[in-house]
Amino acid sequence: MTSLSSETSLTGADPSKPSGSAPAMVIDDVVKRFGRGNDIVTAVDHVSFNVQQGEFVSVIGPSGCGKSTLFNIIGGLLGDYDGNVLIGDERISAPHPEVGMVFQEESTFPWRNVIDNVAFPLELQGVAKSERMDRAHHFIDMVGLANFEKNYPSQLSGGMKQRVSIARTLVSQPKILLMDEPFAALDEQTRLLLGDKITQIQQQLHQTTLLITHNLTEAVQLSDRIVVMTYRPGRVKRIVNIDLPRPRTSDVVGSDAFGHYVAEIWNDLREEASRGMADSETAASRRGAHG
Amino acid sequence: MAATGEMSARPRPVAAPVMGGEASARSAFFLRLACAAFVFAAWEGLSRSGLFYGEVVPSLISIVRAMGVLLVDPVFWTNLKVTFLEVAASLAIGTLLGVVTGIVLGANRFLMRAFEPYIYYLSPTPRIILFPIMIMWFGVGPSSKIALGALSAFFAVALSTAAGMRQIDQILIRVGRSFRASKWQMATKIYLPAMKIPVLNGIRLGMGTAIITVLLAETKLSNQGLGYLIMQVYTRFDMPTLYALLIAVFAIAGASNALIGRAIRE
Ligand SMILES: Nc1ncnc2c1ncn2[C@@H]1O[C@H](COP(=O)(O)OP(=O)(O)OP(=O)(O)O)[C@@H](O)[C@H]1O
Ligand SMILES: [Mg+2]
Repeated sequence: MTSLSSETSLTGADPSKPSGSAPAMVIDDVVKRFGRGNDIVTAVDHVSFNVQQGEFVSVIGPSGCGKSTLFNIIGGLLGDYDGNVLIGDERISAPHPEVGMVFQEESTFPWRNVIDNVAFPLELQGVAKSERMDRAHHFIDMVGLANFEKNYPSQLSGGMKQRVSIARTLVSQPKILLMDEPFAALDEQTRLLLGDKITQIQQQLHQTTLLITHNLTEAVQLSDRIVVMTYRPGRVKRIVNIDLPRPRTSDVVGSDAFGHYVAEIWNDLREEASRGMADSETAASRRGAHG
Repeated sequence: MAATGEMSARPRPVAAPVMGGEASARSAFFLRLACAAFVFAAWEGLSRSGLFYGEVVPSLISIVRAMGVLLVDPVFWTNLKVTFLEVAASLAIGTLLGVVTGIVLGANRFLMRAFEPYIYYLSPTPRIILFPIMIMWFGVGPSSKIALGALSAFFAVALSTAAGMRQIDQILIRVGRSFRASKWQMATKIYLPAMKIPVLNGIRLGMGTAIITVLLAETKLSNQGLGYLIMQVYTRFDMPTLYALLIAVFAIAGASNALIGRAIRE
């Protein structure tokens, strides 16, 4: 239990990380509101944390707490926000060349087959066709779709399509990888195995990774740190260091330490999730009373 | 009795899947054939019954003979060529203007809101009522037909292009942006492929209305074209040739529609 440290400071100074080097990404007091007048929803409320170079950080929180909103802000797709997201010295207001995004929604191009979908970012960069195909092939293989290169998305399952999107983002070899619930459509076993692959690459390439998830097992399995969010308005409730040894594989899921982390974070999450449930119930009953 | 009835009925569901594929396609074909045979027989019966005045329902044999004469008549071919060129020109103009207008309207919510009512309320009005104006502007020749045909193709193409533009899955656009696609790459690698089907469907609809409008205009006032020929034959009261002409028009319209349909599927 002693290994479970929580920090509330915004600097994210963490003794286990190489000190002195600048963080890869700074999220500083970010606020995002939707709507206007009486209909304002605060989706992200004064959120701050850092992600170090090569670090794997997960953001976990109940549905509707503003995770995807934060993801889009960091990815530069939602330029209109308060506070700062910094990568290097640059405030993000448009997609950054070093950032790759994997979206929560199904996002494959229906008119491209698997290999052409995955090769898409290379095509944009003007990489020659044969090299493009080689590199795409490598990542398709990695997500376990080698036999489906010529298939179109309509011929794939939801989980397979999601793996195509993951491969498509990995092929561009972003220095910073952002993923919004990329494994949500996968079964538990595939999720664990694909998680292993992602960790492998991440460790190999020393890739800075921010994973948005509401899956606790996944977060603990993969992360160096976990940012726990509150239910509306989305704030940082706690940041938890995961001091499990690396290299780490999905086998870690069975260990005692793993269980402790899960139990600990679950306590926080349960509070928030039940607030979320109660919120939507009262909203429903209010709507019922109106109707 | 009841028991045996049930017994004999049971194998049927097993047999059904066999009927599902090729066999059902074949029986559909036979049904179509039988239907055509029935219409021909009824037609011939009516024609011989003498119930109708003169040659209103000419015999099939005379229609076939008239068709033979028509197909070797250079007059038919020159008029067909005129109509074909008129439709092709209207479709080309209508498609070009329609795609551009559709993209502008689809991309700009404000413009769409401003102009949508015009397009929606104008598109179902019969274009032929504008024909007198077109004649004043463009004369009796092919130009007035092309203008009218282009106008009708334009609406079909513009509407389905605008709809296609707005129905593009927003997530695909976000994917393009996240990979920092240039404006040109966004247009050619995301918008165009995503809109190909709705645009081709619009062109198909546009061609249908262009053919209708051009032929209709030719029957009203012209000195060449298939519609003109139909009216000529009609005033001569040459019924077999009239029917032969109509069949030719049906065949041509059907074939061009099938051609575009195939292009869409590929
Ligand atoms: N474009 C928008 N306009 C208005 N409100 C929005 C918009 N996008 C998100 N919201 C609101 O912001 C809040 C957070 O949404 P968000 O999609 O970020 O949640 P999330 O944490 O990703 O949820 P989930 O886990 O279900 O994906 C929600 O209440 C949502 O209704
Ligand atoms: Mg989300």
